[in-house]
Amino acid sequence: MQHPLCQPREHLLSRRQLLGQSGTALAAGLGIGALGGLVQPLVAEELQKKQRQVLFIWIDGGMSQLESWDPKPGTQFGGPFRSIPTSLPGVHVSELMPKTSKLMHLLAVDRGVHTQDNSHSAGVPRIQRGDPKDRGVTYPYFGSAVSKLIGPGESGLPAYVWVKPGSGGFQYKDAGFLGPKYGSLAIGEGQAPENLLLPDSISASADDTRNALRRAANERYAKNRRPQVNEAHEYVFQTARSLMRQRELFQEADPKDVARYGDTPLGRDMLLGRRMLEAGVTFVKVNSYGWDTHGDNFNGHASLMPRFDQAFSAIVEDLDERGMLDHVLVIAMSEFGRTPRINGHIGRDHWPEAWSIAMTGRGVRKGTVIGKTNALGTFVDSEEHDIGDFFHTWFHALGIDSKEVEYDNDGQPLPIAHDDCKPIRELLVS
Amino acid sequence: MLNLTPEELKEKYQPKPLQVVETERQMVGVMFSPCGKSMVSGGYDGLLHRWDLTQEEITEQDPIAGHQGWIQGCDFHPSSSRVFSGDSWGRLACYDYLQAKPEPIWAVESAHDGWLRDVAVSPDGTLVASCGRDQQVRLWATADGRKLHQMSGHEVDVYQVGFHPDGQYLVSADAHGVVRKWDVKTGQEAGEFDAGELFSVVRLQDVGGVHAMTFSGDGKLLLVGGTRPKNGGNVQGAPLVLVFDWETRKQIQVLEMGPTSDVYVRDIEFHPDGFLMVATSGNPGAGKLHFQRLEDEKPFFTSSGFSNCHAISLHADGERLAVTMTSKGSNGNGRPLDKDGNYLGNSSPIHLFGRPKEEKEASGT
Repeated sequence: MQHPLCQPREHLLSRRQLLGQSGTALAAGLGIGALGGLVQPLVAEELQKKQRQVLFIWIDGGMSQLESWDPKPGTQFGGPFRSIPTSLPGVHVSELMPKTSKLMHLLAVDRGVHTQDNSHSAGVPRIQRGDPKDRGVTYPYFGSAVSKLIGPGESGLPAYVWVKPGSGGFQYKDAGFLGPKYGSLAIGEGQAPENLLLPDSISASADDTRNALRRAANERYAKNRRPQVNEAHEYVFQTARSLMRQRELFQEADPKDVARYGDTPLGRDMLLGRRMLEAGVTFVKVNSYGWDTHGDNFNGHASLMPRFDQAFSAIVEDLDERGMLDHVLVIAMSEFGRTPRINGHIGRDHWPEAWSIAMTGRGVRKGTVIGKTNALGTFVDSEEHDIGDFFHTWFHALGIDSKEVEYDNDGQPLPIAHDDCKPIRELLVS
Repeated sequence: MLNLTPEELKEKYQPKPLQVVETERQMVGVMFSPCGKSMVSGGYDGLLHRWDLTQEEITEQDPIAGHQGWIQGCDFHPSSSRVFSGDSWGRLACYDYLQAKPEPIWAVESAHDGWLRDVAVSPDGTLVASCGRDQQVRLWATADGRKLHQMSGHEVDVYQVGFHPDGQYLVSADAHGVVRKWDVKTGQEAGEFDAGELFSVVRLQDVGGVHAMTFSGDGKLLLVGGTRPKNGGNVQGAPLVLVFDWETRKQIQVLEMGPTSDVYVRDIEFHPDGFLMVATSGNPGAGKLHFQRLEDEKPFFTSSGFSNCHAISLHADGERLAVTMTSKGSNGNGRPLDKDGNYLGNSSPIHLFGRPKEEKEASGT
C-alpha cells in the first residue's frame, strides 16, 4: 500500500528541495520557537536546516545481552541457546535473532556498555537523560533533547512522538528543564488521540470561530502566569491540529506490512513508527514493555526475541530500502542488561556492568562491532562505555557537536551530554 | 494407605533429610536409574553427571560428555543400562551409564533444530521420543537411533513428551498448553487435551505452557503441570496440576499448589502408594515439595525452607527421594564476588530424603 501522504522518494526529494528554503518557517508558524534556549542560535539554525531523524527503540525492563547481541554459548552463564553467524564475517549473535543476523552489515553494536544503575526506577530516567553530572536541574530525555536541538522539521507534526502500549497523551515530564513543550506526544496502542477528527456537525468556519474564542481565553489565562505554561498549551493544541490534518497515519496498516513486522504489539508499533518517520516526525520512540525476566528468562526470551527480531529487522530493511538510513539514526536499547548468573526462578536479574547497545543509520559506521566482554560475559574486557559516551556519539551522528553546543537554561549554560564523556569514534562514520 | 488420615499420611511419608549432594553447576533434572545403582542429573554445563549408589557413600563418577548447552531431556531404558539424553543444541544420544567412561552407543547430532526439551522411553524400551523448540515430536529406535516417526502439529515449542503406560500412545505438550495424543505405531494424531489454562499472552510474551507431565500408574489419568500465568517478565502465577481423564480427554480436576509467588509446577511423580509428589519453583528461594492425594483438597505434606525445586525422582526401592534445588540466595542485581574477586554462579544441590518409617525400622533392628 502506498503511503497516503506521499511517496517516500518524493518525500526525500521534497525535503531536499526545501533545504535551501527557510527550514524554520513552519516551526515558527506552530509557535514552537525552537531556536530559543540554545547558547549559539546561529549554530542552532544551521542544525535545524538539516534533515535528521531518530528512531529510538526502547526495550523496557532489560533485554538480555546473552540472549541477543553478545551470546556466550557453551559457557557457565551462556544459557541453552546457540549462536549463529551473521552477515558480518566472524560475528555471531543469538540464534533467537535469525533475521537481524542477516542485517549485521548494516548495524553497529557496542558490547562494552557499562552503566551505573541497577534498578529500573533509577536506570530508566538516568539512561534516557544521558546520566549527566548533577547540576541541580532535571535533564531532558534524549527525545526531548533532540526535539529541542533539531526541532520539528517541516512536517507540521510533533517533534517527539512516543509509540507505546497502554495509554497515550502528552508526556511533558520527559522534557525536564527544557519546558513542557519539548515533551512527547504518546500514541497509546497505535490509536490516534481521542477526538482527533472534527465532528461533521462543526463546519470549518465554526471551527475557526471557536478557535478564536479559545485563543482569547488562553491569552486571558496566560496573563498572570509563566509564558512556558501557555506556550506548552498552545503547542499541544497545535500538535493535535497537525495530527488532524494527517489522520491517515492511523489508518489500518497494509496486511503485508503487518505480516512482515509481526502481528504483535511491537510489530504494529514499529510499523506505526515507520509511518511517523516517513511523515517527517523528528524523533520517534517505539516502546516495548515486559522484558524484566527475573523469572523464566529463557522461555521468555525464546518468546520475546523472535518478535523483536522480526519487527527490528523489518524496519531496518525498510529504512535501508527507502534510503532513510542516510538521515535516520536508529538505536535499540534497554536501561541495562541482565545478570550472567541464573537465579532459582531460572531468570536473570539486572546487570548494568556489561551489556550491549545496537544502532544504525545516520552517522553510524555500519558493520561494526566494538567492545568486548570476557569469556563468561560477566564484565567488560575492553574500554567501558557509559551512557554519556553514547549521548555524545549520537549527537555527533546527528551533526551536533556535543562539546560545543550547550543548553541555555534561563542564562545557565548546560552541556548537552556528560562533560567527562566523549563520542565513541569507532561507532561514527566521521 | 488411602484410608489413612492426612496426619497419619504425613507421619508415614514426610521426607526425612538424608544427605545433600553438592554440585558445582546448576542442574536441570535428576533421576534414579531403574536398577537403583545410579543417579544422573543433566547440567547447564552440557554434562550428564552421575553418582554411584552402590558404595557405602554416594560417589560421583566421571560425567558423560559430548553434549552442548543444557541437558534438558533424560530417561532410562527400563531394563538395560542405557540412558538417553538430549541437549539444548539439538543432540540426542544413548550411553551405557554403568560404564566407567561411557562413549555414545549412538548419537543423532541434529535430532532437533535447537533446544531439545524432553526425552521419554517407551514402557517396553524399544522407542525413545523427543520433542523440542522446532515444534516437532520424533520417535527413534532405542537400539540404534533410527528415526521412526516425525509428528508435526504443534505450532509452538513442545516442552514435554511421555508414553502412556500401555505403550500404544505418546503424549506431547507445548508452550501454549496444547497436549496432543499420538498413535505410536502410525505416528498419527489420536486426540487433543486442552491445558490452555496454563498459558497466557502477556504484553509481547507467551507465558506458561506445560512444564511437567505424568500418568497415574493405571493409565487412567493424565496429569500436567505449569502455572496459571498472572504476568510475564518476572513470571508470576499460581502453580497448577490439571488432571485429565485419559479416555474422555476431559479435564476433571485442578490442583492449585500454592500462591502466585510459587509460580511453576516443575515436576510431578506418582508415588506407588497412590499419591502425587509435586515440585514447585517460583520466585528465587520459593520452592516447595507437596504430597497430595487426588481426593484431598490440600496436600498432606508441604515442605518448608526449601529453595526452588526443579525435579524429583523416587528410587526403585520406593524409599529414597531426590530433589534438585537451586542454591539459596540465588538472585540479586548486584555483583556477587568471592574473596578473590571472581563472579559467583549458582549450583543445584541434590537433596536426598528417606521416609520416617526407615528410621523406625532401622532403630528397631
